[in-house]
Amino acid sequence: MTYGPSAGAKLATTPAHGHDDAPYQPVFTGAARDELETLCARYPSRQAALLPALWMIQEARGWVSDGAVEEVAQVLGVSAAHVRGVLTFYTMYHQHPVGKHFIQVCTTTPCNLCGAEDVVNAFLRHTGCGELGVTSDDGRFTVIEVECLGACGFATPVMINSRFLESVTPDAVPDVLEECD
Amino acid sequence: MTAPASPAAPASPPPPPSTVRLTIEGIPVEVPPGTSILEAAKQAGVLVPHYCYHPGLPVAGVCRMCLVDVEKFPKLAPACATAVADGQVVHVHNEKAKKAREGVLEFLLINHPLDCPICDQAGECELQDYTFQEGRADSRYREPKRFNPVEDFGGDVLYVPNRCILCTRCVRFMSDVAQDPVLNVSERGDRAFIGKAEGHDLTHAWAGNVVDLCPVGALLSKDFLNKARAWELDRSASVCTGCSQGCNVVLETRDNVVVRVKPRSNTAVNQYYACETGRLHYRWMNRRDRLEVPLVRGEAGVLVPAAWEQAIAAAARTLAAAPRLVVLASAGLSNEALYLLSRIRGPGGEGVFRVETGPEAPLAGAPDLALRADRAPNGRGAELMGFARHDQPLAALQAGDTLLVADHDLAGLDLAALDRAGEIVVIGTTLPGELVSRVAVALPTCNVAEEEGTFTNLRGRVQRFLQAKAAPGEARPTWSVLGDVAEAMGRGRAPMLPADVFAALAGDHPAFGGLTYAGLGLRGLPVLDAAPAGGTS
Repeated sequence: MTYGPSAGAKLATTPAHGHDDAPYQPVFTGAARDELETLCARYPSRQAALLPALWMIQEARGWVSDGAVEEVAQVLGVSAAHVRGVLTFYTMYHQHPVGKHFIQVCTTTPCNLCGAEDVVNAFLRHTGCGELGVTSDDGRFTVIEVECLGACGFATPVMINSRFLESVTPDAVPDVLEECD
Repeated sequence: MTAPASPAAPASPPPPPSTVRLTIEGIPVEVPPGTSILEAAKQAGVLVPHYCYHPGLPVAGVCRMCLVDVEKFPKLAPACATAVADGQVVHVHNEKAKKAREGVLEFLLINHPLDCPICDQAGECELQDYTFQEGRADSRYREPKRFNPVEDFGGDVLYVPNRCILCTRCVRFMSDVAQDPVLNVSERGDRAFIGKAEGHDLTHAWAGNVVDLCPVGALLSKDFLNKARAWELDRSASVCTGCSQGCNVVLETRDNVVVRVKPRSNTAVNQYYACETGRLHYRWMNRRDRLEVPLVRGEAGVLVPAAWEQAIAAAARTLAAAPRLVVLASAGLSNEALYLLSRIRGPGGEGVFRVETGPEAPLAGAPDLALRADRAPNGRGAELMGFARHDQPLAALQAGDTLLVADHDLAGLDLAALDRAGEIVVIGTTLPGELVSRVAVALPTCNVAEEEGTFTNLRGRVQRFLQAKAAPGEARPTWSVLGDVAEAMGRGRAPMLPADVFAALAGDHPAFGGLTYAGLGLRGLPVLDAAPAGGTS
């Protein structure tokens, strides 16, 4: 399994839904715990497995909650403050719940010149999100801008979770969204 | 922070030289190998400006303020993280190093609010000092500054992120010294700030040290918030009275009121630190319900103010006439006062005291340092002067005994025992309400902030404290009052100075042999049979 970038930057606003008050259910039990232990065995210290552990949490839950920070700190034997420091340092861990389909549109210079702003606006309109970083009311979509996705020759590239799309135009947006279940 | 143990060296290479010689700002210095350039410069009397470096913390090398020019190095080196080498020539104040520091300062000030007029740290702020000394006169930054709201870190600590320069001293103190890692650096780049783990607070018994460690006004004491400007304070070297550890502190006063207690470094006792209890243990020094004039019970049976001469004569008469004398002496009195009390007590009398206790709170990363269970500074001294510790010291009182209460708190004592006392004399800072109707003579004395003397801490270290403020009314230093009373009782000449009392004490008590008042300096010396430092509590 890979721990590639499947998500986007920290959200500016907290979505209205997604937070629940139910007690935190640990992620690292059973097979997930075994997988984490296998990972830890690759490194000289358990602390070194912090980034993959956070990825595992995010894959399982969609985001990294305060409870998850405590769990990671506890299983890896580091302080919660350290885990939080790492979590906030990197932009691709979610500190808030995001939509099922996390849409990242490249708006760095070449894409911007080729009309990436219009692609962003089309996504915001068709998903019903309305605003960057806000999750749509049905909980399916969150749209953010992202720095260079490394496909300047194929403006505008878009990432939807781990799916990579090139040469997206505003007109293509409804079809792209249609493919999201 | 101990250096990793070096692997067993093979026999062939010559042993490394025991010292390294180098030149810093033209001054030759000789230091052990492995010393940082910054510490070597201190020995040469050269201050290398720095923020993130602190001798009590692991080296981080993040502030880039201590860059110095080392000849034959390709670029500037951080003095805190560069070890000395033989023959090095270091320039701290040449054009190249100064220009680098000017640049660092300009960057540090980009998002700094420059709100010195309303900042508690102003006047003792290293950012202010170094900017004044070697920073630019103005900023070239014209864009809006980053803004983050003030955060309550819990305990006694407020965090003002706008002033923070991210030196991480607080993070390192909490993780390496307090070993309660609740702080981190959150976010990154220009958004970075000091974060606190969700649901945790700076309630550690030693967390207040992050306020002292902070070189700028980013971490503030709530207790001292907006109370005084740093330059209005008068400072006196003292010893903390919060427990028997005897941490070296500075009492800071403003208009004759103690407003803050800060630690004073002493590597043999408290390193650079003081606990929360010690920091907040000063309000009682300012209490206003003090005994201010000598009182003697007059003809009509009421307490009336008296001149010192009459009051001392009356006290001496009462005490000398005692069939048996019980001295209830506070463990907060100086060695000098306790010594003179032991003279007044005489061989037939009995001396007792009680010490408040509380939970012990060690500072994990510092050797033999804790908020001790005994919450009084001089229990050890009292024992050395022949006073016995009891939970109910008044139980020593037999019918008809004369009781001398020497600044001892009556809270928690079995006061019914007072009925057994014949006469009662009070020599202290206050006249407890329970004694007003019973006392024959009451003599007002100075408290620890108003006189000088010595304490003996739990490891037997004798340490001096100095006067920080003036006493109210006619109160006189405890050693002076007790000396006069002892002389009036025919128990030796009255001392002229606390040093005289200490000299007599050192002559009478073998444990203090060889110690002199001046020789103690401001960091103290151990008594002869002192337990070695570094042991457990």
